[in-house]
Amino acid sequence: MAQRLALHRLLSLPARGSLVSQGRAFGTSAGRRSTFNVQDGSDFQDRVVNSPKPVVVDFHAQWCGPCKILGPRLEKLVSKLEGKVLMAKVDIDDHTDLAIEYEVSAVPTVLAMKNGDVVDKFVGIKDEDQLEAFLKKLIGA
Amino acid sequence: ALGAEGAPRSGGGAAGWGLRSGAGAAPENEYDLLVIGGGSGGLACAKEAAQFGRKVAVMDYVEPSPQGTSWGLGGTCVNVGCIPKKLMHQAALLGSALKDAQHYGWNISQPVHHTWSVMAQGVQNYVKSLNWGHRVQLQEKKVKYFNIKGSFSDPHTVCGLTKAGKETVVTADNIVIATGGRPKYPMDVAGALEYGITSDDLFWLKESPGKTLVVGASYVSLECAGFLTGIGLDTTVMMRSVPLRGFDQQMASLVTEHMESYGTKFLKRCFPTKVEKLKSNRLQVTWKNADLDTEETDSFDTVMWAVGRAPDTKTLNLETVGVKTNSETGKIIVDASEATSVPHIYAVGDITEGRPELTPTAIAAGKLLAQRLFGQSSELMDYDNVPTTVFAPLEYGCVGLSEEAAVQRYGSDNIEVYHAFYKPLEFTVAERDATQCYMKMVCLREREQRILGLHFIGPNAGEVIQGFALGIKCGATYPQMMKTVGIHPTCAEEVTKLHITKRSGLDATVTGC
Repeated sequence: MAQRLALHRLLSLPARGSLVSQGRAFGTSAGRRSTFNVQDGSDFQDRVVNSPKPVVVDFHAQWCGPCKILGPRLEKLVSKLEGKVLMAKVDIDDHTDLAIEYEVSAVPTVLAMKNGDVVDKFVGIKDEDQLEAFLKKLIGA
Repeated sequence: ALGAEGAPRSGGGAAGWGLRSGAGAAPENEYDLLVIGGGSGGLACAKEAAQFGRKVAVMDYVEPSPQGTSWGLGGTCVNVGCIPKKLMHQAALLGSALKDAQHYGWNISQPVHHTWSVMAQGVQNYVKSLNWGHRVQLQEKKVKYFNIKGSFSDPHTVCGLTKAGKETVVTADNIVIATGGRPKYPMDVAGALEYGITSDDLFWLKESPGKTLVVGASYVSLECAGFLTGIGLDTTVMMRSVPLRGFDQQMASLVTEHMESYGTKFLKRCFPTKVEKLKSNRLQVTWKNADLDTEETDSFDTVMWAVGRAPDTKTLNLETVGVKTNSETGKIIVDASEATSVPHIYAVGDITEGRPELTPTAIAAGKLLAQRLFGQSSELMDYDNVPTTVFAPLEYGCVGLSEEAAVQRYGSDNIEVYHAFYKPLEFTVAERDATQCYMKMVCLREREQRILGLHFIGPNAGEVIQGFALGIKCGATYPQMMKTVGIHPTCAEEVTKLHITKRSGLDATVTGC
């Protein structure tokens, strides 16, 4: 609980510079742990639906230009949260049925999932401020 | 309650267990319409039927090519036909444009090089976005999608296995077969299957095909050989007989003549006898030259077969339900309403006998069929005067009858052929050879002089012919064409100015201004 409050304060720090430098110290290793590519349907069940932590699911495609910008941007912000939120990447060409099941029609589509439910969603590219707010809402709620 | 045979329940999301009765009573089918084949015709039919609020399902499955190539939803046109073909044709045209650019003042260092993998990735990515688009459209129109290879068990029941091996059974009141065709392999050439590729594979190659031999005289052969030459590859076309059989032969010769001057090598009146793999991994091809009665050989990196397409009916189990096919071609026989020999079973697209193998006709036929089945329409598909274009390096577009067909139907005394050799304005400064830029209009000679056919070789032939196809559909006449004012400066305007007849014997070369 104390840890979460500390993070809360971290997130509300106005000086983004400090946030970034704080994040970067832990960033790389946390990033590696907190972002993963979904392998198949059962992998999605295990690591997203049944995840104890909230997960942002990034539906993307090789042929999608905006996805190539949004992906790394989102990944960077997620890694700064040091494991509080995980990020699952789903290539819709490899996992078309899964994407259709979650009603994805355009890419990039990002879902916020908590306890197996979709609690938030956006389609298209977003800037860092918008993404931070999105993530903040997911952890906070 | 399950029928006597007990339809097996399928797993996962494929909710496809239908009720099959034993003898006697009409079965209660799960869908109003089942379409087998998710290509141009199939998808158009399914989506149109769904608009009428009907319960529709589409089954699509791609059997990997012998070389292992496979692809997503959308059929031949989207994945291994029209779309990737036109994009690669464009890549080749841009190469020529870069050469022309110097004359127009651009500083581009020659020679310009092409990287296959960059083009291929761009094309393949676009195709994948179309596969996705089709999935989303089916979802939005509430059409159920099954990625299974279906075969008939009775006239209203189709079953198949999912990739995971689960059996799925689908029943429908009406079934439309739209499984299209696949490239043929020559059966009498040793090594053909093992070492050769087809158009199914060409567009999905990750690495350049290198020095390529394309065997065949079809538009598939010429279009592919054309763009391979255009991107700088050593390309040879081997033809047993005439090019573009079925098309106007004068125009066909002009197409191949241009390709030769463009750099494509031609082995005419030759047919392959065997293909062997060398230690260097190159392919050694041996062939007979029918004119010289000799045997010749050469090595290539890639051998592509473009010797025709066969209907994809083998695994459908058509005999079980009695759907009649043409004994020679194997295609499904249909009447003017796209109906097969079995009630409630229809067919559209490349799979049907006697129809053009074109996307727009398949789409139109599919839509009209859905409208007749569910929309109280009685409109039949009109297959007359369908325009088309061969996207060779110098494009050939046409609508209506070839000169030979017109002569055969009406007699040479009753037709008038107006023709012209012209030079596109853009070729002048670029110092490009326009020897094969030509057009002709075949008209009836008497009374209103109705236009029977229009043939055009030149840049953007497809764009040029499309508009004139409307005129021909409306029964345009030669006097009406002469009253039509041309747009200047264009190549298309020359059509409105055609006045030299073949009959006159005069030189048909026309100049611009």
